[in-house]
Amino acid sequence: MNKKRIYPQWFLLVPLVLYIVFFLFPGLMGVFYSFTDWSSRSSVNGLHFVGLANYIEIFTSNKDYASGISNTLVFTIISNIVKIIPALFLAILLQEGIKGKGLYRTLFYLPSILPFVIIGLVFKSVLNYNTGLLNGVLEFLHIGFLKQKWLSDLNVVWKSIFGVDAWRGIGYVMTIFMAGLSAIPKSYYEAAEIDGANFWAKLRYVTLPMMTGSIMINLVFGITYGLKVFDIVYVLTNGGPGHATEVLTTYAFQLYSNGQYGMSTALNAILLIITAAVGILVVKVMSRQEVQQ
Amino acid sequence: MKKKILATLLSVSMTAALLAGCGSKAAEAPAAAEPAATEAPAAEEAPAAEDAAAADFAGQELSILVSAGWMDNRYDATLARFEETYGVTVDLQTIPADQYSDILQSKLDTGTCADVFWIQSNPFAIDSVIVDPESYCIDFTGAAWQNLMPEARQASCMSGDKLYGLQIWHNSPEYVMVYNKTLFDELGLTVPKTYAEMKDVCAAIAAEGITPWFIPGADGWQHQLSFFQVGGVYEEAQPGLYDALNTNKATFADNEKMLEVLDQYKELSDLGYFGEDWIGTDSTNMANEFGDRNCAMAMANSSYIKQIQEETGTSDAFGLFLIPLGDNDTFPTNPAGPTMFGYKGSEHPDLVSAFFDFVCTTESLQEILDNSPAYTNLDMNDPAIEQHWLPEEEEFMNSVDKSKMGTAVLQTGTKYTNDYWMDFGADMVSFCQNQIKANDVLKNMDTNRAEAAKVAGDTAW
Repeated sequence: MNKKRIYPQWFLLVPLVLYIVFFLFPGLMGVFYSFTDWSSRSSVNGLHFVGLANYIEIFTSNKDYASGISNTLVFTIISNIVKIIPALFLAILLQEGIKGKGLYRTLFYLPSILPFVIIGLVFKSVLNYNTGLLNGVLEFLHIGFLKQKWLSDLNVVWKSIFGVDAWRGIGYVMTIFMAGLSAIPKSYYEAAEIDGANFWAKLRYVTLPMMTGSIMINLVFGITYGLKVFDIVYVLTNGGPGHATEVLTTYAFQLYSNGQYGMSTALNAILLIITAAVGILVVKVMSRQEVQQ
Repeated sequence: MKKKILATLLSVSMTAALLAGCGSKAAEAPAAAEPAATEAPAAEEAPAAEDAAAADFAGQELSILVSAGWMDNRYDATLARFEETYGVTVDLQTIPADQYSDILQSKLDTGTCADVFWIQSNPFAIDSVIVDPESYCIDFTGAAWQNLMPEARQASCMSGDKLYGLQIWHNSPEYVMVYNKTLFDELGLTVPKTYAEMKDVCAAIAAEGITPWFIPGADGWQHQLSFFQVGGVYEEAQPGLYDALNTNKATFADNEKMLEVLDQYKELSDLGYFGEDWIGTDSTNMANEFGDRNCAMAMANSSYIKQIQEETGTSDAFGLFLIPLGDNDTFPTNPAGPTMFGYKGSEHPDLVSAFFDFVCTTESLQEILDNSPAYTNLDMNDPAIEQHWLPEEEEFMNSVDKSKMGTAVLQTGTKYTNDYWMDFGADMVSFCQNQIKANDVLKNMDTNRAEAAKVAGDTAW
């Protein structure tokens, strides 16, 4: 059995062709179109090369696309923080001998399988200022002073989005952490306990170093999810109130909807550049980490 | 050995199943051909021809893509009859209003549109929203139902000399102020005719703990009506403005009357006269808010009065007056409305045509009118339709100077404006939340219109 462990090079051919045709080529075409005036009228007016005009428009327009880019970056950072840290502690908690941990694991994971549209509909209702469940409960508990305009107050709306996003995503992140935790030999903890390590010391010197793989996976998934975030913003606020929660993809979607495909692809090309830069950075850090290990 | 026998048996049974499948098809063929054989003589008899047509469509599915609020339940009975008549199914895809235009555009662009789709049409909308109607829309030129629509509405359904759309809409006063007459009488208030009077009325109502003017900002499309429905005052303040806007000789930005209206709107918002959270409130509960006397006024169609009374059972009387921002005294004339189009890429264009014919029969039109709490009439040239005009509508129409009914509302009287309805609404919210200035709202509209004109290849831009 397994006489030849190394498979021939041509095995790569099919996936490579599929990757080039469905990922690389459309990506490059997108970048190409970002330098054109491609629009819904192009079939009539033709396609013209416009150089950097679309990019200049993005950074100089009244529409403040730049805030969409910065919102995307901020979302990426904060959404990862509010998901990864609680998920790590939850995973540790549920890895320990807590009663009914199977039930908790399921409950935490369940939101991850819900479609965004459903989440949007449910939370739009829950977060409604006048009739929503959340403000209703606060009133009922006589802490009505905590009531907020969850989706229409500029100071609160992003927090609401982060909250709903964390509610949905924590279970998924937690599951990956639990897989990482289960791979840590118990003897390490026993040795640490003999040395008098408390919870934080075990976390600092055993759990975290042994979990770098899981953390990296969650970071990569989280960063790519954050950079291309669309659904959760679209279903909860559609970029509002006003344009307060517009992200890069909501602007790109609006431009595409208005038939301004060239501008839309320029925005997506910017997203591609940011994602590629972050991706390269993460891969480098991961490689260094592997070498150290 | 056993395996071999099993394999042989399985092979035999599979072959038999395959042959049986072919056989049944072969057996069906003559059966299917039978009606065809009888069709020729029967074609002379209309009912039999209809039956044959019905048989042709049997089993097909007609998909309809529509924004919430454009069909509602008023089409349910007609759709059910259509399904029954033709033996087809209708897949009604109702999209939330704030997402509809994005989704429609994406579906058109990607060639995945439903058989029938709707747009909020006006005389400029086909060329600016659908852009290339020849590629996307079924040409209905010469359809029997064309002249059922009044000429003014036909303009919203045509591009060049080709007919693409069907607009079945009412002719009631659209998006004027609906107010609780009984409440006004109890508080000793009279209908405001100017902005100053409106502010006083709002103050008096707010003092009673009632939201003076209910604005469902979360819908994303309602609050900007207060700006666009008073288009007549912009034209009055600067005669020739509409033409100048349509030929790129004027801009929204720096228009004093427009700035005045935006500032007045924000002032009312800042004073809390739209309610505690108008930006986060949608219209789902609006009728109940009226019925419970939690609000006194809202921008709505005249027929909404009927809806409030029927849904809430209130005994209060309601009336109508013009939106008084900018001291407006002009009627919001608007020969536009939700309009349905047949998608050219449809797999069954004949079924689409049959559907358009079907909804234009007197029976269907009457059914649509009767099943709609929001309609009191249908603006169709069919004298057989029994209209249900409200006395409030007649009273309101009589109160408006006829000379103030000539100018169309801003969104349909000027090119590329309606296409950016949602963007303008978002900008208005940003303005009310002090994120941008009033003139920025107007500048953004100019930017958007210029982009749309560029896309449309408009030589005036």
